[in-house]
Amino acid sequence: MIFRCKNCGGNVVYSPEKHGMYCPFCESEGSQNRQESQTGAMSLCPNCGGEIPLEEHTSAGQCPYCDSYLIFNERVEGVYAPKMMIPFQMGKEACKGLLREKFKKFRFAPADFMSEARLNSMRGMYVPYWFYDYETGCYFQGEGTKVRVWRSGNTEYTETAFYAISRSMDISFRKIPVDASEQMPDDVMDLLAPFDYSQMLGFSPEYMSGFHGEKYNMGSDAVENRANLLMKADALKLLKESYGGYHSVRVVRQDVNVRESHADYGLLPVWKYIYQYKEQEYPFYVNGQTGKIVGTAPISAGKVWGYTITLWGCLTVILTLLNIIMGLI
Amino acid sequence: MRQGWQMEKDFKKEAIKQYLRYFGVWFGVIGVLAALCIALSLGKRENLKAPAERVYDYAGVLTEEEEENLRSHIAQTERKARIHIVLVTVSLPVEGTEAKQYGLRYTDWERNMQDLADDFWDENGYGYNKDFEGDGVLLLHNWYPGQNGEHLSTSGRVEWAFSMYDIDQVLNAVDRYYETDPYKAYMAYVDMVDEMYGRGIRGIVPWAVILILPLVAAGIYAAVNLRQKKAANTTAVNAYVAGGKPVLNGKSDEFVRKTVVTRRIETNSSGHGSGGGGGGGHHHSRSGASHGGGSHRH
Repeated sequence: MIFRCKNCGGNVVYSPEKHGMYCPFCESEGSQNRQESQTGAMSLCPNCGGEIPLEEHTSAGQCPYCDSYLIFNERVEGVYAPKMMIPFQMGKEACKGLLREKFKKFRFAPADFMSEARLNSMRGMYVPYWFYDYETGCYFQGEGTKVRVWRSGNTEYTETAFYAISRSMDISFRKIPVDASEQMPDDVMDLLAPFDYSQMLGFSPEYMSGFHGEKYNMGSDAVENRANLLMKADALKLLKESYGGYHSVRVVRQDVNVRESHADYGLLPVWKYIYQYKEQEYPFYVNGQTGKIVGTAPISAGKVWGYTITLWGCLTVILTLLNIIMGLI
Repeated sequence: MRQGWQMEKDFKKEAIKQYLRYFGVWFGVIGVLAALCIALSLGKRENLKAPAERVYDYAGVLTEEEEENLRSHIAQTERKARIHIVLVTVSLPVEGTEAKQYGLRYTDWERNMQDLADDFWDENGYGYNKDFEGDGVLLLHNWYPGQNGEHLSTSGRVEWAFSMYDIDQVLNAVDRYYETDPYKAYMAYVDMVDEMYGRGIRGIVPWAVILILPLVAAGIYAAVNLRQKKAANTTAVNAYVAGGKPVLNGKSDEFVRKTVVTRRIETNSSGHGSGGGGGGGHHHSRSGASHGGGSHRH
């Protein structure tokens, strides 16, 4: 499908800044008209008829010939229909600004690292996620100590009191996110969290116009182990918080029992910038809602040497000149 | 192809711009210091009030030829070290009630020698760069029978540079030869002043520091700038918990037992001392000028 402008026929996209559909050609707002492909062939652009080099899991993308943003029905409907999504809250320009701010003090990055030309290659994409709900019962049993030290004359007394601790709590986890994309690195996707679920909406293809997207390519069973580990780690931390105040605690028994679990499919917004340097890729991911950045800047060896040697030279010359001046005064 | 080449060219230009923007202040500071350096070296740094004479042999221990040789040697050393070097020999009673007849303040040999040396320097307006507290050194050698000895008076940068050890080194050089060959002793005085001053003043910032300090600073700069703040896990422990907190069903903290351990406390005390340092023999002369110095009596 494609969204056309009722007024000018241009391609209408979702604008994070305006929080609505927007035609970049005639600047109309809310003028979108959904148009389905006439041929029914997914690999043909409904706007220009050009053949689109479609990747296996792509659910939204851009026609390389006419630059129209397309959403592929088969990959957002039926079993691939997302239940929920957070639309992009941050546009490309805002995202560029954040990246520039973060790396402005990093002197040793290549000169073009934050250039307009390079940053323009940044793409906004909806990453498929599974969201897990868990109803759990958590138990803890252990032995805690409280220590008191005091002095009397030349003698120091250390009193250690031992306590039997037990806790029992129910924890309901909601929407623990785990990415369902083989292409996205798991550790990076985990670091991009958290997302603010108060802006979570029901799925609507309009939000995808103007961006790229993927359908899930890993089933909920395949990635549940990651959600389970995150849930258990959080449950144990919450248990630990409940028995604070002891000098030391020895765990006798602790359990996290899952009574009920459930998974839903949804999409989350991520900006992706890939910088190529010396035949190596440096990917940067930006949370399209909160602006959190994950990525490590490349280092230009030329700049490291150039700047360090210049600094060394400047300091040496300054000290030498000061020495000469002191001798002349 | 042409577009890519143009882009590369623009990035190179941008890299040069970033470099100049970053080091602009440093280059500016170097320019200012270099200009100051040139201005100072072109500017006259001399004392026109001081007499040209440097050798005053009132005790008559040197021949005319020896005096000439000394003057020439002193002039050569002064040009190099940029300080005044003066030699005065006398034969005066500077101790006891006899000293009072010569207008001296004390009956003490050392303090009178110091007064004589400082006054000679101040009254003649010696000092390489100025006539008050200027840079230089004066050796006063008293040949009066039974009161033989020298006093070295330092001023300006020489006072700042010479420690008591340096002063002793100069006086020891004189002591080594004065009995057998006064001329040799005074030549040694000039040489030793040149050597000791060279060690002290020409290293206001020692060359080792000038070479090593920037190297260390540049190393630290590179290490600090190579560090990158990695993204951290900012998800709160209760981020995905319904209602933000768990429902606590049961909680129990039951006291079981208690143990008490005792330990005898050992007390101890200790102390330490410290030393000091500074310009050798610092004092003020009768005219109020700052001097350093020291004496050797034979």
